[in-house]
Amino acid sequence: MLTLIIGGAASGKSEFAEQLAQRLPGRRVYAATMEPCGQESLDRIQKHRCQREGKGFLTLERYRDLGGLEVPAGANVLLECVGNLLANELYSPQGGGRAAVLGGVERLYERCAHLTIVTNEVFSGGTDYEGDTLRYLRELGGVNRSLAARAELVVEVVCGQANVLKGRLP
Amino acid sequence: MIFVTGPMFSGKYEYLQKTLGLREEELAPRCARNVEALAAGEEDLEELAGHLAQYDFVTASEVGCGVVPTDPEQRESRERAGRLSCLLAGRADVVIRVCCGLPQVLKGDWKC
Repeated sequence: MLTLIIGGAASGKSEFAEQLAQRLPGRRVYAATMEPCGQESLDRIQKHRCQREGKGFLTLERYRDLGGLEVPAGANVLLECVGNLLANELYSPQGGGRAAVLGGVERLYERCAHLTIVTNEVFSGGTDYEGDTLRYLRELGGVNRSLAARAELVVEVVCGQANVLKGRLP
Repeated sequence: MIFVTGPMFSGKYEYLQKTLGLREEELAPRCARNVEALAAGEEDLEELAGHLAQYDFVTASEVGCGVVPTDPEQRESRERAGRLSCLLAGRADVVIRVCCGLPQVLKGDWKC
């Protein structure tokens, strides 16, 4: 099953996605996309590692080129998050932008039984953006729409609660 | 009038096009798009809402979920955009929220 989870900052979307993945069969893999740079990102990574502790996830880091991520066949993969992955694909010299994100998801999903993708709701705080930020928002909006169209289950998480936009929770 | 709201770049207009089976040139004259941008420059929001409600379809982005802007002009335009959306939703027969291209009906009868 391909699932897309969207939510704002600190909405509880990660925990919700982890709980969902725990209910699905297959070797649990956490595909982490945040490239550590500086103390704040290291702290954030540590917070998420602690949150996942004891939940049976094998953590694999992948900052770009998701299609090249090696996972056990039939794995149950939680990918977090598209916002970071897209930024890496947009702003790193080797990156391939929106197409690389969507192509990477397709290639990864071919080898998984379940892929749960976490993405960010950053589109309701005004339209007064320009330059790189506007471009990032446009590209992330496009990625989110494509993933939602492809996914069997789409859930918006608000205060840790599920607002199911498509499909049915298992 | 059918009012479609939702986050920026969520596919509001594309949803209408797809669900109604209309081409760009068919829908464009019947739809007022991204009207949140009109609110800032309009003295009378009721009058603007009344004018926009004459369209068959109106789309507006949700803009009020971020931190209050420090810039007074941005604060004012955000406030007015939100008020305009409320007025439009009040006048609409159907209100739909589109997120990631997926619709949810908030008001009225509408088959997604």
